[in-house]
Amino acid sequence: MSESGHTLLPDEQHPVEPSRRLLWVSAVAAASLVSLAWLSGEIDVNGFFGAQRVQNLERFLAEDAVPFPLRESGFSWAGLWSWVRAHWQEGGGQATLTTLWIAVASMALAGAGALLIAPWVARTISTKEPFLQNGSKRPRGASWIWASRSARLLCILARALPEYILAFLWVAILPGSAWPAVLALALHNGGILGRLFGETLENLERRPLQALRALGGSRGQVTALAAIPVALPRFLLYFFYRFETCVREATVLGMLGIVSLGYQIQDARSRLAYDDLLLLVGFGVLLVLLADLTSHAVRAWLRREAPR
Amino acid sequence: MDRHPQEPTPRGLILIGIGLFGVLAALLLGLKPSGLVPNSGGLELAREFFAAALDPAWTREPGGLTPNPTPLLPELGLAALRTLIFAAAAMSLSILVGLPLGVVASDTWWKRSSFASARITAAGRALQTGVRFWIALMRSVHELIWAVVLLAAVGLNTFGAVLAIAIPYAGTLAKVFSEMLDEAPRHSAKAFEGIGVRPLHVFLFGLLPRALPDMIAYTAYRFECAVRSSAVLGFFGYPTLGYYVSLSFGDGRFHETWTAIYLLLALILFLEWWSTAIRSRLVS
Repeated sequence: MSESGHTLLPDEQHPVEPSRRLLWVSAVAAASLVSLAWLSGEIDVNGFFGAQRVQNLERFLAEDAVPFPLRESGFSWAGLWSWVRAHWQEGGGQATLTTLWIAVASMALAGAGALLIAPWVARTISTKEPFLQNGSKRPRGASWIWASRSARLLCILARALPEYILAFLWVAILPGSAWPAVLALALHNGGILGRLFGETLENLERRPLQALRALGGSRGQVTALAAIPVALPRFLLYFFYRFETCVREATVLGMLGIVSLGYQIQDARSRLAYDDLLLLVGFGVLLVLLADLTSHAVRAWLRREAPR
Repeated sequence: MDRHPQEPTPRGLILIGIGLFGVLAALLLGLKPSGLVPNSGGLELAREFFAAALDPAWTREPGGLTPNPTPLLPELGLAALRTLIFAAAAMSLSILVGLPLGVVASDTWWKRSSFASARITAAGRALQTGVRFWIALMRSVHELIWAVVLLAAVGLNTFGAVLAIAIPYAGTLAKVFSEMLDEAPRHSAKAFEGIGVRPLHVFLFGLLPRALPDMIAYTAYRFECAVRSSAVLGFFGYPTLGYYVSLSFGDGRFHETWTAIYLLLALILFLEWWSTAIRSRLVS
């Protein structure tokens, strides 16, 4: 090959394959971790299917889980319906709506925060001369590099800890309101969205933005009036994708004492009212399915109306 | 599209909607900025807690059942290992269940042949819809709610904790896998069909390998999420890192809380770095 008249650049002959070693190491590590998990005896499979547990489960399904009014009288649709309605009116409905509002408020906050931090995350904007072409090697400017690195670090740290632990810590400091749940969800989702938004801005077609720069647009003007509007459909897709997850998560944070579904679920559990517990879980399922449908519909509409 | 420049675009409308709903939600929840200022007790607690951040404990502070200081790291290290073990066991189960469900839920499985498109039978359509609904149900209950339900049904059992994570994660994997199969490039499958390869083999050797890198990368990301979930299960009495966070914080041993938090943070950041590295090698 090398004897042939023209010499090819090395990467024209063989596109540089990224090292596969990490993948092999990961496969071996995953396999050994899974075998360790099942063989270590930490996971008590036999106990789970042991006679005592099976008995528990049978009692749970045959007695505890049956709606209270139906245990004596036998099954009737009317009885079931009036039981469901009574629970919806006695706090179940309120808790379900509170869960929804917690998710909505925290996502609005997360979206606003992500919108503010995204330009700092994007390495094409947070640089000495913004929106330059890919190939050009212009010094990025040390302070800009640090700004973009710290923005990224902030996003990573914000989403690293589980929402539940964040909310748990905040409940102790700010007891008695929905703020701990909202703050925890907003921080976690803001971190995720901030990074996704930033990467979207980074991957935008740069020539139009450069043209606006050449016409005298400042960094802020081009970012706010050109880059963000162009990236907005993508942003919204990500936003609604996170909204689904956030509704599910908001249900759970109630277990920390915030009056949402999780609180009621925890309450039913402590009263050993497992029929109520399952009904409340059912309300949660309904809410999540509705949120999924809404988000799905909005995303489908966005894809049609504003294709990327 | 003809639109007056002053007329809001659909995305503009959605943006305005999000803002309005956000304000409405804040009003209905009674969220006021003043609510962010802790009362004197909360302030005292916050000061004490955050002061401990710079000085995580290396030994368990004496008191209660432990009269002498005992080293903390071995104990927390074991908890971290258990956090990983529960997550790994849950992921292995959810891949086992999620992969077949994802295949059946995908369109490509039912329309493997591009020549006879839309040849999906009524029975096939019914099965697919049923599986998709089942997946949605598995996903719609959060892992911690599954944990509470399983606690109520069978009591505290570590396999129950694994199941609690595995059920919703299997649903999520199934959903995402089916989408990835549907979006995978079709060139090789078409070429196989052209030379008369059996539909099952077209799927196994033409389609699945094209979707596999994405699926593996996503699974690696989900493992990271499973570790978070597994840590939080500690709050329900399972011996993972969350157990130590909740216990030490409740007792006011904040230095120990920070040790557990830092350990969890290190674990998650490492896994995140790792899953990003895997992704960069698999997905271009």
